[in-house]
Amino acid sequence: MSTVVNPNAPGTEPGSLAPAPVKGRRSARTGLSDRAKSERKLGWMLAGPAFILMLLVTMYPILQALWDSLFSFRLTDPGNKEFVFLGNYATVLSDALFWKDLGVTVLITVVTVVVELVLGFALALVMNNAIRNTRGLLRTAILVPYGIITVVSAFAWFYAFDITTGYINNWFSWLPGIGPDFNWFASQWPALFVIMASEIWKTTPFISLLLLSGLAQVPSEFTEAAKVDGATWWQRMSRVVIPNMKAAIMVAVVFRALDAFRIFDNIFIMTQGQYGTETLSLLAYRTSIGRLEIGLGSAISVILFICVLLIAFVAIRVFKVDLAGSGKGR
Amino acid sequence: MSLGAVGALILTGCGDADAGDTPTLTWYINPDAGGQAEIAQQCSEASDSRYNIETALLPLDAAGQREQLARRLAAGDRSMDIMSLDPPFIPELAEPGFLADVPDEVEESTTQDVLAGPLEGAKWNGELVTVPFWANTQLLWYRESVAEAAGLDMDQPVTWDQIMDAAREQDKYLGVQGTQAESMTVWVNGLIESGGGSIVENPEAPADEVSIGMDSEAARKAAEIVGTIGRDGLGGPGLPTSTENTTMIEFQSDNGSFMVNWPFIYAATAAAVEDGTVDQSVYEDIGWALWPRVDEDEPSAPPLGGINIGVGATSENQDLAWEAVECIVSPENQANYFVTNGNPAASEAAYEDPAVREAFPMYETIRESLDQAAPRPQTPYYNEVSSAIQQEWTPPASVTEDTPRNTAEFIEAVLKGDQLL
Amino acid sequence: MSTKQKVGWAVVSVLVLVYALFPVLSILMTSFKTPSDLTSGKFLPKEWVGENYSSIFVGTARDLFVPSLINSIGICLISTAIAVVLATFCAYAIARLDFPGKRVILTTALAVSMFPVISLVTPLFNLWRQIGLYDTWPGLIIPYLSLTLPISIWTLTAFFQQIPWDLERAAQVDGATTWQAFRKVIVPLAAPGVFTTAIIAFFIAWNDFVYGIGLTSTEAARPVPAALAFFTGASQFEDPAGAISAAAIIVTIPVVLLVLLFQRQIVSGLTQGAVKG
Repeated sequence: MSTVVNPNAPGTEPGSLAPAPVKGRRSARTGLSDRAKSERKLGWMLAGPAFILMLLVTMYPILQALWDSLFSFRLTDPGNKEFVFLGNYATVLSDALFWKDLGVTVLITVVTVVVELVLGFALALVMNNAIRNTRGLLRTAILVPYGIITVVSAFAWFYAFDITTGYINNWFSWLPGIGPDFNWFASQWPALFVIMASEIWKTTPFISLLLLSGLAQVPSEFTEAAKVDGATWWQRMSRVVIPNMKAAIMVAVVFRALDAFRIFDNIFIMTQGQYGTETLSLLAYRTSIGRLEIGLGSAISVILFICVLLIAFVAIRVFKVDLAGSGKGR
Repeated sequence: MSLGAVGALILTGCGDADAGDTPTLTWYINPDAGGQAEIAQQCSEASDSRYNIETALLPLDAAGQREQLARRLAAGDRSMDIMSLDPPFIPELAEPGFLADVPDEVEESTTQDVLAGPLEGAKWNGELVTVPFWANTQLLWYRESVAEAAGLDMDQPVTWDQIMDAAREQDKYLGVQGTQAESMTVWVNGLIESGGGSIVENPEAPADEVSIGMDSEAARKAAEIVGTIGRDGLGGPGLPTSTENTTMIEFQSDNGSFMVNWPFIYAATAAAVEDGTVDQSVYEDIGWALWPRVDEDEPSAPPLGGINIGVGATSENQDLAWEAVECIVSPENQANYFVTNGNPAASEAAYEDPAVREAFPMYETIRESLDQAAPRPQTPYYNEVSSAIQQEWTPPASVTEDTPRNTAEFIEAVLKGDQLL
Repeated sequence: MSTKQKVGWAVVSVLVLVYALFPVLSILMTSFKTPSDLTSGKFLPKEWVGENYSSIFVGTARDLFVPSLINSIGICLISTAIAVVLATFCAYAIARLDFPGKRVILTTALAVSMFPVISLVTPLFNLWRQIGLYDTWPGLIIPYLSLTLPISIWTLTAFFQQIPWDLERAAQVDGATTWQAFRKVIVPLAAPGVFTTAIIAFFIAWNDFVYGIGLTSTEAARPVPAALAFFTGASQFEDPAGAISAAAIIVTIPVVLLVLLFQRQIVSGLTQGAVKG
């Protein structure tokens, strides 16, 4: 899946996503000078192409999906295209499979984000405190999972755990329930475990780098002062460091959650969604591309999109995460 | 490519086209060991520069192949000249008119000595819509040592109950494909057909009238076999994810006993022996017979597979494409492909070829199996039917006597558009 | 630092290294195994063979792998280049110029990066087949922009705000136009940021799988991640774990190289200079 935008812009509060608004260059209210006018024009000339392209490659498809979702339309049966209005949505929302897949998607999202947060924080602490000559090495190492192709990661984990090609069963046969005969991909929980492990391995570095930058913005005087006051390490973390980087944490959580919610590659490679590992992205793929049911598939796509919007909305409103960057300075 | 097409238009009626103006035909092939690419080259050379065949590779699994072809055909892609098609998906492509009609003279020249099973799979609504290229069928493979120890006379037809008992007694694993994939439908369809039933009773009906014949004795017997193998661990721990390949690997191991699988395993095992990865003694221990019976008095209906060749209705070079198809499916090519790629011929004549007989000592069994074989349901909604079976019948241990009825209800609801798949 | 601390750090560092590199090592080992060795249940190959690599470069999988590698490299480089060029203009305008709608642009970029790719594939497929972009390079380059443009705009905007803009003003005072000031003064200063952004954008394009399987169907445009799902053994039923692993390692090499060479830049690109050193 695609990785999201970098949430920590310079010159802003940690956790504010927007690059800081440019200050002190506002034209006088009364009438724009020629210079201001030409600046406006130049601004749009420079920013316009990127803006329009972004709109074209996303707005057009989502509007098209919205339109398609109102029809009963099977690609290999073009003669029977029929307007059904919200019929496809009714079918999807009344189907137990949809809710089951939604449940799996939410579960994967919650578990991976929580684990990544803890693991990522630990990694960030290690990198933050590491002595100079290991710091570069550690960072280089954790950038490997960040840069690796998700599909490659999926194959690596799959081949390690698979009952025919794997060695994990041999290594961990001392654990109860695990032995040469344990088939990880034959039932829901073990399969989800491996899928989530691959997802966590691949994306924790991103979170940990965000947290690292959050850590660096906690004023060192605060921690020093707490130390002088005799606070334990744990107290310093929970009372000083974490509260001070709360915004950075929330931003990392929201971005990872939105990304995890769209999980596809790992599951597609490892189980194709069999045995209770299907998520909404897979359901959408299987319906619109596998079954060629364009109408039904588009409805699922639109629902998936709405879910993502909802997560973003809740994050902004309820948790007050500053996603759109109405920077505190304004 | 468009340049080639333009060239063809200009040079219509002109005999000695030079190489640069030879029309290019695209042949969408399923992955194989290179045999189709070789045939493409030979036929291009033999055509005297009338056409040049280029191959384009389709995905590995049958459903993926159908997906790519259907999307291209629905898009009216003009490059869809020649296609290697998995028979169960032919009705879906034929029904909306995506496939070009087979010209009479081509039908005559290519189907004369085709075996009955494959020929049936090439038709839709009683019309020939594709030409059989090769035909696959599953055999019952067994380790002679295990069969002997179990006291089974393999010269006589055996039943599923017998091989299940033998595997249980000998503490070995049965080789069956239990993963959630097309191979599951192959297995279930073979069991139901062997028991005298049919998955779809009226395959040519429109979506909302399709009737699923799963509430039958044959289907319940099939469920009993699949469920017992799953619950009793007869297929080994890998069963819920086992594919044709993993069952073969298990069969080659010390746990191997009986296995239903396609003939590719024989060539693959021979290759593994050559690589030194499988013991020669294992290879020599392999025996074969017709697919197991469900009912001891009724011949089995082994699974039928293979590849047919079709021409796209939007192809710009249909006449040349059919000419190329005639070359591709020639009995000599089929025999050669059989020997080099291990895929059995659809043409009866190929089985007379000495090279075939030498490379595949079980050629007689294969031909017999092809005569008895039953195709999977030939309906335009095959994908839905097959996906539903795959979901309901896996993992095998979860299959009970209620599974067939649930599957029937599920498929009917999906086809009516009331339920997701 | 005490010996105890040193040992502690060594242990922690080794743990992090194992965490980061083990899965890569695992698939590397798989790529050197013979077909029978694949099922050995061991981590290390019994004997080290290069046949999986020769099969993808000169052997049976060549026609599948080599074109897809060329596709991946070409498509990713082009879409990265387009994204970075457009984003550079866009980010410069946002960082430096006063014009209405900046916030709209940034919010749009954010929204675009949240789009579920799967929702875009089917409509794009339908449009592409109508206008003939299905299974072509531009047919992938354009959707890749939806992945690479937003992050490029954000990263570059952030970078550009760190540039000492007084230099630009000085140039303008000296009589240069806004455009000249941009070209002569800012471009050299901005180059490192642009370069870093390009690496990050390239990683993201390189990682794509959904567009790759949804919008291509032949070796004309199929990228490597999609091609990995197409590998086959000697027959259609055999699973070529060895060849897939070898191909996976090959496409991981550029990632490792970029990371080794530009670790510092990538980290600063991702965290925006918040971390010093």
